Amino acid sequence: MSAPTRHNEAWRYSDIAAVEAAWPLPAPERIIVPAGGTFARTIIQDSGLIHQLDIAIGKGATAAIHVLNIGGEYGRVELNVTLHEKADFTLGAVQIGGATQTLEVITTVTHAEPGATSSQIVRSVLAGTATGTYLGKVAVARDAQQTDSVQSVKAMLLDRSATANAKPELEIYADDVKCAHGCAIGELDAMGLFYLQARGITPAEAKKLMLQAFVAGVFEGAADEEALTEAALAKLGDLV
Amino acid sequence: MTDDIEIKDKAAWDAAEKVADYEHGWSSDIETDFAPKGLNEDTVRFISAKKNEPEWMLEWRLKAFAMWKTMEAPDWAKLNVPPIDYQDAYYYAAPKAKPKLNSLDEVDPEILRVYEKLGIPIAEQKLLAGVEGGEDGGLPQRRVAVDAVFDSVSVATTFRAELERAGVIFRSISEAIKEYPDLVRKYLGKIVPMHDNYFATLNCAVFSDGTFVYIPEGVRCPMELSTYFRINAENTGQFERTLIVADKGSYVSYLEGCTAPMRDENQLHAAVVELVALDDAEIKYSTVQNWYPGDAEGKGGIYNFVTKRALCQGRNSKVSWTQVETGSAVTWKYPSCVLNGENSVGEFYSVAVTNNHQQADTGTKMIHNGKGSRSTIVSKGISAGHSNNTYRGLVRVAPNAEGVRNFTQCDSLLLGSLSGAHTVPYIEVRNPSAQIEHEATTSKISDDQMFYAMARGLNAEEAVALIVNGFAKEVLQQLPMEFAVEAQKLLGISLEGSVG
Amino acid sequence: MLQINNLHANVGDKPILKGLTLSLNAGEIHAIMGPNGAGKSTLGYVLSGRPGYEVTEGSVTFNGQDLLALEPHERAAAGLFLGFQYPVEIPGVSNVQFLREALNAQRKYRGEAPLTGGEFLKVAREQAGALGMDMDMLKRPVNVGFSGGEKKRNEMVQMGIIDPALAILDETDSGLDIDALRTVGDGINRIMRKPDKAVLLITHYQRLLDYVKPDFVHVLADGRITRTGGADLALELERDGYKELAA
Repeated sequence: MSAPTRHNEAWRYSDIAAVEAAWPLPAPERIIVPAGGTFARTIIQDSGLIHQLDIAIGKGATAAIHVLNIGGEYGRVELNVTLHEKADFTLGAVQIGGATQTLEVITTVTHAEPGATSSQIVRSVLAGTATGTYLGKVAVARDAQQTDSVQSVKAMLLDRSATANAKPELEIYADDVKCAHGCAIGELDAMGLFYLQARGITPAEAKKLMLQAFVAGVFEGAADEEALTEAALAKLGDLV
Repeated sequence: MTDDIEIKDKAAWDAAEKVADYEHGWSSDIETDFAPKGLNEDTVRFISAKKNEPEWMLEWRLKAFAMWKTMEAPDWAKLNVPPIDYQDAYYYAAPKAKPKLNSLDEVDPEILRVYEKLGIPIAEQKLLAGVEGGEDGGLPQRRVAVDAVFDSVSVATTFRAELERAGVIFRSISEAIKEYPDLVRKYLGKIVPMHDNYFATLNCAVFSDGTFVYIPEGVRCPMELSTYFRINAENTGQFERTLIVADKGSYVSYLEGCTAPMRDENQLHAAVVELVALDDAEIKYSTVQNWYPGDAEGKGGIYNFVTKRALCQGRNSKVSWTQVETGSAVTWKYPSCVLNGENSVGEFYSVAVTNNHQQADTGTKMIHNGKGSRSTIVSKGISAGHSNNTYRGLVRVAPNAEGVRNFTQCDSLLLGSLSGAHTVPYIEVRNPSAQIEHEATTSKISDDQMFYAMARGLNAEEAVALIVNGFAKEVLQQLPMEFAVEAQKLLGISLEGSVG
Repeated sequence: MLQINNLHANVGDKPILKGLTLSLNAGEIHAIMGPNGAGKSTLGYVLSGRPGYEVTEGSVTFNGQDLLALEPHERAAAGLFLGFQYPVEIPGVSNVQFLREALNAQRKYRGEAPLTGGEFLKVAREQAGALGMDMDMLKRPVNVGFSGGEKKRNEMVQMGIIDPALAILDETDSGLDIDALRTVGDGINRIMRKPDKAVLLITHYQRLLDYVKPDFVHVLADGRITRTGGADLALELERDGYKELAA
């Protein structure tokens, strides 16, 4: 199989040159969470790699993935998740890019059976001419009733010509489902920045604090929550 | 069934069923003038010659046809369309009308009867019949000028004189090509370029007729402009071309409504609509699309591949698209706004209903190039039966577009567990000052809602119609009043048989 | 301490302040009252430097410094504190972190050594305790999930910790029940009624003035001070309304 082009939906915003250089990719890591089991993984992408995971979550099992996507010219974390009956999946992802970085989080979350739940929170902060992309598809199969799925996608651009792309996609074939997504792209709240500055905090620090607030909570529940948060704040500090 | 009329005769019963299936499912017998079946350069020349077009227009068509032959049909939509045999269709059919029509009296009474069957609002019929104003002492009658497109040729235009007094040009596009060639050439193919997409290119080559509107600087069009589309001839593709130019500070509201008689063969429709709004101009474009959707088994129905795009070129220009899509077997349609003007505004309000085996892939693109440009997208998708209903949209903000705002709301309602509801929004932002918000929800009609409505005396279908109308209200209220009433009824009709 | 001279300011293109002149000396508490839309909140924002509030004419000196030449955070460091009418929620940033960063940023600006974590917590605990706020609230994200009253109380805790020379309190009494009003009033007196400090209370109603007795009351109408008096003026306003006075 040859390397994908931009015509390939899953790679439409990718750094194609970097993808070609990395091609062919090794087979995705396969993870099977047995019925009733739990699985947790933290992915810190800080060296410009393509991570591909296929995760099958068994009946009543849970899986939680936390992603910090910050390093290299091109970094991609791609998750292909299948949920069986009453399984639960959570994703908390933060990507922070500057200069000419291209960072992507790509997910396909398939609710194959009834009663499964999924929650995805993705926050991107982009500076310079960096590109941050979230392509997230939630697919609900014909009989996967009582699906409950949310996607919360937010991006913050710090410079003109930084790019945020988002495609929170729903493909739904069952009627008794609760699927919602919200996506917001914008700049830091001016009133919040003023409030911080009115308390004596410098503009740069105020910006950093607001960005901290922006990514807050994404790593909640991760085993290494503090380390992740610290690494995220350090990267934010570099950008501001 | 609780009908108190007992129908014993099987054939009569079937016939009754068939009629009930599709209200507008009849065909009138008007003699038709066909172009030979099939599509080649000669077809293009035939159409152009039939319309006495100038040489530049023929060349333009031929160029498009050559281009089209090298192109492939797009396959990215969530649609399952069998291969279309473009050689197995007629590309031109004109009702045999008198060579020149100056008033409605001269229109074939058969055609007028068709409009009556279509349920053109009473007020409008009065107007069509030349009755001015409303004597009933009720609401002041709104005035609507109709450019009727019957199959492929515009047969009559009303209120031409009054519009002309205001300086408004309201013509069939074939007339406009001859009468206002400079104006047409300036804009034709400039908003939707010839190479834009497979269906648009095809339209460039074989478009049969359509509407041209020009509103001069500072003019508020004195009445709503309206075109009724009908597809009537068997196996005839319909390739309408519409061009509306709103000059500085002008305003126009344009209504487009469609129904089609029942046919077993799939009919191809590939229209192109181009809108241009200059400084401070506003265009409101409303559509109710109720073409034949095919039968309950998915047989027949219109294939509707439409390219609609508006260029908000001027400062503070505004284009508002409102569509109620209930018909067609396949809908592929993305009325869009290119917001080049500073503080320009784009709006897209859509209700798309699919039932039985209908497929709709529809949405919008808002391309923000102008500073301070704003857009609003409200999409309500309703899926019933075995149908699939997709919202596909793009919001793009260019690096130099400061202060852009977009709000998008996409809601899907599923009726029954055999349909599909899909949302595919693309968001691409390159300016930090943009504020882009997108929300999507998916829901079904709850048992509680149904029970509540039925406990108040509604039957299941009435209850569904009521709840669906509530779901779509935000969009329906954007429509001009009598259109809104028609659209409300349509939603109910389209969903018949989807419950119980 | 604060001299405002012929101040004109616009919000967007709209002139709001139209020649406001006012002087505050150390040790004084002033109340500015006036009908809605008179420009009361604008005055607070202009003095603290909110972006979008443009001074078109006039001057403001604060302890001899040109206040208008300073950035918002520099004004804070110079000793000016704005109590917000609608304190902003900042999820993910705890009160403690926020206030410590704020206080130390101000100290740094003034060339003072930063407080250690221990020193800071001691001050924070004292101030929170005095205003009946428990430490758990201090650990919560700034204003997130706080009731209206809690937000206002939090503003007072911040004022206590930052210990400014001049406090401009914008509708600090709005949204408070009678007990909270007393607590906040006591807080203002305790923190700010000192010979080297001054307070500018911006309020629509006189009820806060039952707890914080002003030395001067000014009426702000249509962007200007139209009348100045003692504490009695507030009562008069309460009784007769603003219309009478403007006439």
